[in-house]
Amino acid sequence: MARFEVSQAIEETASPPAAVAQPRAALTRSLIGGLVTSLPVLVVGLLILNFAPTYYTYLALGAFVNLIVVVGLQVFMGNSNIANLGHSAFVGLGAYGVAILSTPLAMKKLSIPNAPFGFATLQLDPVSSALIALIMVGIVAAVSGKVISRLSGVAATIVSLALLIIVHSVFLNWTNLFKGNQAFFGIPKVVGLPWMMVFSVVVIVLARLFKDSRWGLQLRASAQSPQAAAALGIDARRLRLMSWVLSALICGLAGVLYAYFAGTISPKLFYFQMIFNTLAMLILGGMATVTGAVTGVIVLSVGLEFIRSIESGVTIAGIQLPQLLGLSGVALGVVIVLCMAFRPSGISGRYELDELLSRLFRRNAK
Amino acid sequence: MDYALQQLLNALAFGAEYSLVALGLAVVFSIMGLVNFAHGEIIGVSAYSVFLAAALGLTSPIVAVLLAVAAAALAAVAFERVAFRPVRYAPTTTGLLTAFGVSIVVQNLFMLLISPKPQSVSILNGLNQMWFFGPFAVSSLQVMELIVSGLTILALVLFLNRSTLGLAIRAASRDFATVRLMGIKANRVIATAFAISGALAGIAAVFIIARRGSVSPDLGFSLVLKAFVACVIGGFGSLAGAAAGGMLLGFIEVGLLVALPQEYGGFKDALTYVIIVALLVYRPEGLLGQRVELGDKEI
Repeated sequence: MARFEVSQAIEETASPPAAVAQPRAALTRSLIGGLVTSLPVLVVGLLILNFAPTYYTYLALGAFVNLIVVVGLQVFMGNSNIANLGHSAFVGLGAYGVAILSTPLAMKKLSIPNAPFGFATLQLDPVSSALIALIMVGIVAAVSGKVISRLSGVAATIVSLALLIIVHSVFLNWTNLFKGNQAFFGIPKVVGLPWMMVFSVVVIVLARLFKDSRWGLQLRASAQSPQAAAALGIDARRLRLMSWVLSALICGLAGVLYAYFAGTISPKLFYFQMIFNTLAMLILGGMATVTGAVTGVIVLSVGLEFIRSIESGVTIAGIQLPQLLGLSGVALGVVIVLCMAFRPSGISGRYELDELLSRLFRRNAK
Repeated sequence: MDYALQQLLNALAFGAEYSLVALGLAVVFSIMGLVNFAHGEIIGVSAYSVFLAAALGLTSPIVAVLLAVAAAALAAVAFERVAFRPVRYAPTTTGLLTAFGVSIVVQNLFMLLISPKPQSVSILNGLNQMWFFGPFAVSSLQVMELIVSGLTILALVLFLNRSTLGLAIRAASRDFATVRLMGIKANRVIATAFAISGALAGIAAVFIIARRGSVSPDLGFSLVLKAFVACVIGGFGSLAGAAAGGMLLGFIEVGLLVALPQEYGGFKDALTYVIIVALLVYRPEGLLGQRVELGDKEI
């Protein structure tokens, strides 16, 4: 089957006339495809917005942040087939970026009075803070991506981990700017569920457009067969860099949104726990497709919440169970291991939601 | 002079420990292309079995050392049997993510079954003393670390060069299919590689317990991250590269500790990784790795 996919991807790459003849039709198709994929997210979001109590709204906001992170992760991992274990560094950079730029001055006097470069006396509005934070994320991503895109798969993964450790260590130790281990509070809470939904849809569509674009297709082809792709003149390094930066920007956006809804952030939020969670979501859903990313987030968010309620000690039939710290971690790990052993392509396999639907209808029509 | 010598010994001891762990990773990777993120948890299993044995009344340090090595080797073989065999022929990324999953499961099992907090283990504290050589005071642990690592690496080299199974392991890292055609069982080669890798991790675990005097669920994780980095600088899959990379990492770390002022000490890890990433810009294939162009024939 792998060989079939290779030849299929290369055929698609090698036959530009069809793509050139109807670029607009292809664009419309993946645009609609992205919108169809984001439909379940919208439905869940609207239901929660209208009917759920506040506690669940808060949980849903967290899940939406995870959704954006996982989609961002998919942009790099799904297309280049290189495991990335450092993406939460970009989430952290985005969140701290807006925290430093947009926190009101009165708060800053309490939290980071000695910030360098005049940040202690600077306060920008949320939108321009977000833009500047994303530009910073983009710069860090471009520099790290330069290194990572040159390396082979395994070394690239290890360097992505090294990046995570570098960024985390800077958060912890540059106390004047990042407040170290303590929570950074007082960030304006300007994002609610509606904005979160808008950005989720935008990000899902963006990821889908990238996947279906020339670059996405070429990158997927080069991941499946480097030799064949190189023979067709595909510059895999440039494409890996491109998807790395896009992926980082999406993760950075997730960080910005997280900071703007939670109001308080701390470095440990953007460390291994986030990597574990989001990676398990992507793997369970299937990393080859954007649909997979969405599916994984929905399934695991619900599943994890259930497990967490057991973890904190529940009473079943009058018997009080003890606290079971670590249960959710075990569950996440088991999900990853079982998925890899029995269904490496995840729940959704290699078709997007709209492709599945259209196949289904076509079969029924026959 | 005293200070310089002390730092040199520090660097050698750190480097020796990284080399041991990195070699364990490289042995497995060179044969089956598995990036074993669960290597740290092999160290963890080894340390926790010493902790449990001590809690059950074990007092002899020698038995504890043997137990640590045996438990680690067994754990490594068990991980292979349970988790890595189903993904043996899968792409590298699949194996890597499986190992990552195993690592999460085992770390959380320690939390769930024992405790999320560090547990004290004093049985091996006797290894950590001060020895006086004339005017010099050195830590016995560091000297032992250096000697034991050296001997272990020597034993590994002898095993790989002189025994049939060792030869099979080296051959398997080049061309597994042909090794199997020669009548050598794949399962045996892989199980041996994992046992070696585990034993090396067990030796590292002994030194970790002796130095820290406690065990915690994430005990081996950060060490293994460093060992991975050592493998990457050395050239992934090359055994000599792993050993050399580990030593280099030890020297970079101690060099930074000496060079950085006290208040910037926290940036040691960050700077170490920055230096290494910078090295990789110039040699993406690692120091001792070979540049393989696409389409090159395996030699």
